[in-house]
Amino acid sequence: MKKTLFLLLAVWVVGFGLAQDKLKACWIYVGPIGDYGWSHAHDVGRKEAMKALPWLETAYVESVPEAQVEPTIDKLVSEGCKVIFATSFGYMDGVLNAAKKYPEVLFGHATGYKRAPNVMTYLAEFNEVYYLNGLIAGALTKSGKVGYVAAFPIPEVKRHISAFALGVREVNPRATINVRWINAWFDPAKATEATNALMAQGNDVFAFTEDTPAVIQAAAKRNLPAFGHYSPMQKFSPKTVPSGQLVRWEKIYIDFLSKVRNGTYTNRNLDKVDYWWLLKEGAVELGGEFGVPINPAFVPALKAKRVTDKLTGKQTTVYDLVMARYEAMKAGKFSPFTGPIRDRNGILRVPAGQVYPIYSDKPGANQASMEWAAPGIVGQWPNEPKN
Amino acid sequence: MEEVWAALLRSVIFGTPILIAALGNLLNERAGVVNLGVEGMMAVGALAAFATAQTTGSGGLGVLAGVLAGGLFTLPHAFVAISLRANQFVSGLALAMLGLGLAGLLGKRFEGQPLLAPLPEMPFVYLGFGLAVALWAFLYLTHAGLVLRSVGENPAAADLLGIPVYRVRYWAVAAGGMFAGLAGAFLAVSYRSSWTEGMTNQLGWIAIALTIFVAWEPLRAVLGAYFFGLLYYLGFALQDSAIPSVFLQALPYALVIVVLALVAWRRRQGAAPEALGLPYERGRR
Repeated sequence: MKKTLFLLLAVWVVGFGLAQDKLKACWIYVGPIGDYGWSHAHDVGRKEAMKALPWLETAYVESVPEAQVEPTIDKLVSEGCKVIFATSFGYMDGVLNAAKKYPEVLFGHATGYKRAPNVMTYLAEFNEVYYLNGLIAGALTKSGKVGYVAAFPIPEVKRHISAFALGVREVNPRATINVRWINAWFDPAKATEATNALMAQGNDVFAFTEDTPAVIQAAAKRNLPAFGHYSPMQKFSPKTVPSGQLVRWEKIYIDFLSKVRNGTYTNRNLDKVDYWWLLKEGAVELGGEFGVPINPAFVPALKAKRVTDKLTGKQTTVYDLVMARYEAMKAGKFSPFTGPIRDRNGILRVPAGQVYPIYSDKPGANQASMEWAAPGIVGQWPNEPKN
Repeated sequence: MEEVWAALLRSVIFGTPILIAALGNLLNERAGVVNLGVEGMMAVGALAAFATAQTTGSGGLGVLAGVLAGGLFTLPHAFVAISLRANQFVSGLALAMLGLGLAGLLGKRFEGQPLLAPLPEMPFVYLGFGLAVALWAFLYLTHAGLVLRSVGENPAAADLLGIPVYRVRYWAVAAGGMFAGLAGAFLAVSYRSSWTEGMTNQLGWIAIALTIFVAWEPLRAVLGAYFFGLLYYLGFALQDSAIPSVFLQALPYALVIVVLALVAWRRRQGAAPEALGLPYERGRR
């Protein structure tokens, strides 16, 4: 009897010790994890982090409206979350308030720019991948009109469209990039009709910022190419998705959580922590499917199209150009925002020989807060700077 | 010219799910039962259609499953609203939320799965138009239509004439659900060809607004739905003009409100069936 009791006690103590040994991280998603876009990608990141870090325990709450983030954090903290990732821009102020209330909890805020001793910010940034897809789009368009279905006119989306346009124009200097705003992150019906409007106006290659494969599906009905976004979308139309943007949030999550675990990051030093991770860090990838940078169905067309590499001055094919730039960016040796770059109104934005800074003291004069449009972009552009 | 043609085409295509759902709603409202659950029934119909099409490989079977699922899913509302005589608005709202939630939950494993052979869109457009004409003929040219309308206008008088009020209302509500299921099926296996939680995206509510907008007339519903589709499409097609996109996209909804206000202004009584939303109990007035 005594023995059994002792054994039970031992098991309990050891079990308790093991539980104590775990780190509990919790995620807050703005959409349903099945959106197959943004929230889905974060949830894949969470699961991959669980696989990679045996000491990690996780929980998540999905479809949390932006105004509801504080009560959600209250609940998660009461359930023992030591690290909380808030994965929507609109959670920003709620996270900062909650961070003051719970100084011992560590917070990560995706896409935000406000930090605190226990709040870091992070982003898997796509501009390089958009630029590569732009190169491909410029080679594929026959009409010289490339369509872009865009979510909201905020700096992040504008930066991506501009990077895409820079790529299109590098291969096809006379092409236009026609933008239609749907003013929604998730709205497959709007994305579908916007794509149809663009098709009626002669656009024949498509890229987008929206959380579903709706643009791909609408374009596929006329057999027109469209790039995937966020998740592997090539399977939705295997013959019409040349490539796309893919994310690996787990790279950031694993790095951050490991450094929390080993004591590098604490609740006193996160105000200096900002992840702006690109191809070099492996946080993003080129492809409509992981491991397939360019859909084999489009490789012959891209190998047949010849261009001059503006960096080397040598003749090459678009396929080789994309691959060369891809490798250069993976090595951290190239940025799409390398000057000279003028915006569509002719104003010099990036002087020759310089790379546009990610951050700077002057608002609007860096990648993080840029509002201008690259040459070739046609369509409304709210808050376009006049000088 | 191609752009005009495209605008007309897109307006009838995008108008079709709204039209079909509105016709169903019009049918049950003509029998005197309000069903605010259209959005939920559409979601359930969309999921059932997609799941069936995906597993059997047949889009047609999918559509059938969507129709049946929509019809079955609405029965709890029929029971609560007709037999138990509870508040129809509350019960319908519950149905909308339940349908969205249930479809979201059951649909998890279908998320992110493509349907590689979607059905063409035009047959649904013809079907929607045909259903509108058929519904008009049913309501105004047949005895059964007269029975249905009288149940919606004055159930007590209909009851006195020996018309089984409850049974008529049950069938009308079930038929409304089937129409909504068909609208959802169109979205999932033809207009889009994949399932995503929340993919009905408020179209069910627009269908309910449209029912009032067209004063419960099936043929007007055709025009109303296509008009909405046109405004919706123009919200994107006209973006190269100077009109701000946010304004263009709010226009269809703003117009619905304006027309509703005009309708209310012109006819104080409105064209609504007299007994709309009122539970019927024999011997009570």
